[in-house]
Amino acid sequence: MGTRLMGRSLTLILITGAVLTCGAAAGATQRTEKHFALKGRPVVAIQNVADGRIEVKSSKNPEVVVVANQNSNKINFDMEQVGDRVDVTANILDASAQPQELATSLQLTVPEETELQLKTENGMIYVEQVRGDMTLESVAGDIHLKEVSGYIIVKTTGSSLVCTQCAGKLDFNSVGGSAQILQPALINVNLRTTTGNILFDGDFIRTGLYSMRSGKGVVEVRFSGNDSFDLSAKTNMGTLDNQAAAFLKPDSHSKWHLPKFTHGFIGTFGAGLAKVELSTFSGTIRILKRD
Amino acid sequence: MQCKDVEVVLEQEGLAPLPDEARAHVAGCSYCQGLVADLETIVSLSVQLPAEVEPPARVWVSLRNQLEQEGIIRQPVAVPADDSTAWWHSLGSLFRSRAFATVAVGALIAAAGVLQLLGPNQPPALPPAAANPFSQTAKVLNDQEIDLRNMHLSSTSPVDAALQQNLQQVDEFIADCERHLKADPQDDLAREYLSDAYQQKAELLSAMMDRGRSVN
Repeated sequence: MGTRLMGRSLTLILITGAVLTCGAAAGATQRTEKHFALKGRPVVAIQNVADGRIEVKSSKNPEVVVVANQNSNKINFDMEQVGDRVDVTANILDASAQPQELATSLQLTVPEETELQLKTENGMIYVEQVRGDMTLESVAGDIHLKEVSGYIIVKTTGSSLVCTQCAGKLDFNSVGGSAQILQPALINVNLRTTTGNILFDGDFIRTGLYSMRSGKGVVEVRFSGNDSFDLSAKTNMGTLDNQAAAFLKPDSHSKWHLPKFTHGFIGTFGAGLAKVELSTFSGTIRILKRD
Repeated sequence: MQCKDVEVVLEQEGLAPLPDEARAHVAGCSYCQGLVADLETIVSLSVQLPAEVEPPARVWVSLRNQLEQEGIIRQPVAVPADDSTAWWHSLGSLFRSRAFATVAVGALIAAAGVLQLLGPNQPPALPPAAANPFSQTAKVLNDQEIDLRNMHLSSTSPVDAALQQNLQQVDEFIADCERHLKADPQDDLAREYLSDAYQQKAELLSAMMDRGRSVN
């Protein structure tokens, strides 16, 4: 009888362990949803130290909705509202946690006019249809922007930017990341990368200023027949691939000259209303006309 | 099906709906009915338990005193000033915050820029430090880099790996610019690239140092 009782206790312990472990694994993904009501134009700040994606989309509702998913209890999200400012911060609770335990994702729905300050380390940032100034920082997670407008500041270490149908002003600075600017309506563009590539495929707005510089990468510009801009392209040790030489006239304003020790070209397309400066230290500058 | 078979099913599948055979056995076995009932009680109670309870501070104090009395742990001893690791700690303290580090290096780069502007008015025979306006910046950053490489040796996180890789890229680019400037010291565009690269290096090192501090 005693032996049987002991056996039953042991069995209970073993099965309980197995059942609870299964339960923990099955309930591994935890979802948190919070709604923050707003009175005015909001500022949303996210600081994500975890490994995860941040996705921001807009709606017509005057509220910020945050949905956070996490795989373990080794990370938590602090969410706080102060007036029209919403702060979301991910905190690692266990420094010894494995990368998969720190996997998270954040989905935000914000009003169409919202200011964003997003900072992440290893997750992708995706922002769509938001109007407002935004500062986006990432170490190793790529940044995708679609139909956003405002003064957009992007700073990355090794990650790249893809900006589709963006409007306003764009400032991109990266060590190893590339930038692709597609179908833009940007009036002011300043792109800097040390080893990444730059692609600008779209129209130059009249009176716009466009500066693109890569230390070692390719700087490629594809313009349209309707564009009107002054162009300066220069390099120290790189190569120039001008596939639009037939369309470029000598600089009509005669205000630019190539610095000493560099080679390149200066020219005008159309009436020269916008100003475009391209440079690379040892990479390639490529210019071509679409169509 | 026997009692031990039911136990195996419970172990493997938990309290999820039992197979028909197992249910048939449990219906006629008082031992297994008791086992399942106990298991259900344990699982339902475990759900109500808080995930983690932080013991009061006095528990830690008491525990620490007890361990010290028994000689299992000792009070930390102050590290002597001539310890082999102290040199980089003291250098690291110069860059206590990321903002300070960036501002400090920015100031050095700005000073280098002023030197550069004054360059044409200088007499031809310049001392080596003035000939290369970034030499002081380079020295500070290189010292920092050595410290950080020591701090990050054990780190394998993807973010640290990305930072290390980008730091290497910036170093290679700086080397390219410096080689070029040796040949053409008056190349202003190359100097701009070099200045930007040093600024990026300063920011990278600051970010890495911040990460090192938060992890260690």
